[in-house]
Amino acid sequence: MMNLKKSLSLLSAALLLGASLTACGVPANTVHSADDLSGKTIACQLGTTGYIFAGDIAGATVEGYNKGADAIQALTQGKADAVIIDSEPAKVFVSKNPKLTILDDPFATEEYAIAYKKGNDELGEKLDNALTELKNDGTLDEIVSHWVGDNADQVSYTSTATDFPNGQLVMATNAAFPPYESTSGGKVVGIDADMMQAVCDKLGMELVIEDMEFDSIIAAVDSGKADVGVAGMTVTPEREKNVSFTQGYATTTQVIVVRAD
Amino acid sequence: MNPFQSFLDKLHDTFIVDDRWTYLTNGLKITLIVTFFAALLGIVLGFLIAIVRSTYAKTGKLRILNFLAKLYLTVIRGTPVLVQLMIIYFVIFASFNVSKIFVAIMAFGLNSAAYVAEIVRSGIMSIDNGQFEAGASLGLNYPKTMIHIILPQALRNILPALANEFIVLLKETSVAGNIALNDLTKGGDIIRSATYEAFLPLIAVALIYLAMVMILSRLVALLERRLAKSDLR
Repeated sequence: MMNLKKSLSLLSAALLLGASLTACGVPANTVHSADDLSGKTIACQLGTTGYIFAGDIAGATVEGYNKGADAIQALTQGKADAVIIDSEPAKVFVSKNPKLTILDDPFATEEYAIAYKKGNDELGEKLDNALTELKNDGTLDEIVSHWVGDNADQVSYTSTATDFPNGQLVMATNAAFPPYESTSGGKVVGIDADMMQAVCDKLGMELVIEDMEFDSIIAAVDSGKADVGVAGMTVTPEREKNVSFTQGYATTTQVIVVRAD
Repeated sequence: MNPFQSFLDKLHDTFIVDDRWTYLTNGLKITLIVTFFAALLGIVLGFLIAIVRSTYAKTGKLRILNFLAKLYLTVIRGTPVLVQLMIIYFVIFASFNVSKIFVAIMAFGLNSAAYVAEIVRSGIMSIDNGQFEAGASLGLNYPKTMIHIILPQALRNILPALANEFIVLLKETSVAGNIALNDLTKGGDIIRSATYEAFLPLIAVALIYLAMVMILSRLVALLERRLAKSDLR
């Protein structure tokens, strides 16, 4: 019993020491515009368009983390000078971390779309039709309004369907990309999850969400492990070689996140 | 397009375009560096811990050190190496921009030390107490008995288990990609994220690990044979 007490006190002392060390010594921000990025360390999520853009910057060191949140953490702790990431997740990360800020000049504008297996045009057409319907009847806008903006209440779209005559639709995603997808209460929630739930209601299918690393999503769709990849995924020529995309469902920009001065 | 041609195209796309093969060679270099120094740290620290633990068991000395060693073993063996790596990177070195290779060496070395310590301790404890008495009767003190009589015999017994630990260590370094260290596995992941082709990068990475483990096993087998020579006299 004595041993247990001793161990616990030693452990907590070590934790306290660690916690007190985390607060100090982060270098000042050196990136004030996109031009400052050359020669700097840029943290990104591996496989994202931000990672591809960062690779094109002369002299910059690009670090690919498995999660966007880890890249942000590295920036906060001074291990990287900037993060290039999609604008909506950037806003969420910055709102949760007052020590960070988003630079005014955005990178490229791009469109998110749903990825599906090449050659599965039947599914592609169904998805496209469902997306068009959701856009026209305002459902998509309503879903987005729950997650983006000042009045975002983060209430998930609730499905009305009870039976699924057309089976399951497996959606591969990477739930570290708020507001498009994040984990809450053990469930994947966000715009993509809600939108796909609405799409599945239209298709008479049951939505099954698989959370995986971002760079595994296309392989999962390509190999048939998942029917669709929905993860705030931008259409790029490289990706189009391996999967097909539906029409776009959201327009976003890539932004640069840095430490606030 | 015939299947062979499409395979060649994929091969070209995976390894040749943009010099992608360099992700694997550079990654291999980092994996080897991390494994080597982590193994070194593991051996040194592991032997020290094992000697502390077995000295306490045999003589009752080093009580406090033994307690610390036990605490260390409990914490390290009780938590996954990936979590330890993240803690060292994001918690312990939170405010220092230290080299990722250093972080990885620390994490895997400290982790390996715990397992090496138990392996070495089992080796020391397996040596008959008569050997300690023999050392004493020759006028050797405890440290000298340990260094000249016990450890050489123990080492021979534990060599297969130690080799196994280093094989595990080599493969365990594959989680280093989580702190954005571009090791061999991460090199394959980067290629995968650029070509969206899973088969070739993963198979290539697997084959390189396999080759390394086979070389390691062969070296250990040679060492074992060399150490067994004294049995044949």
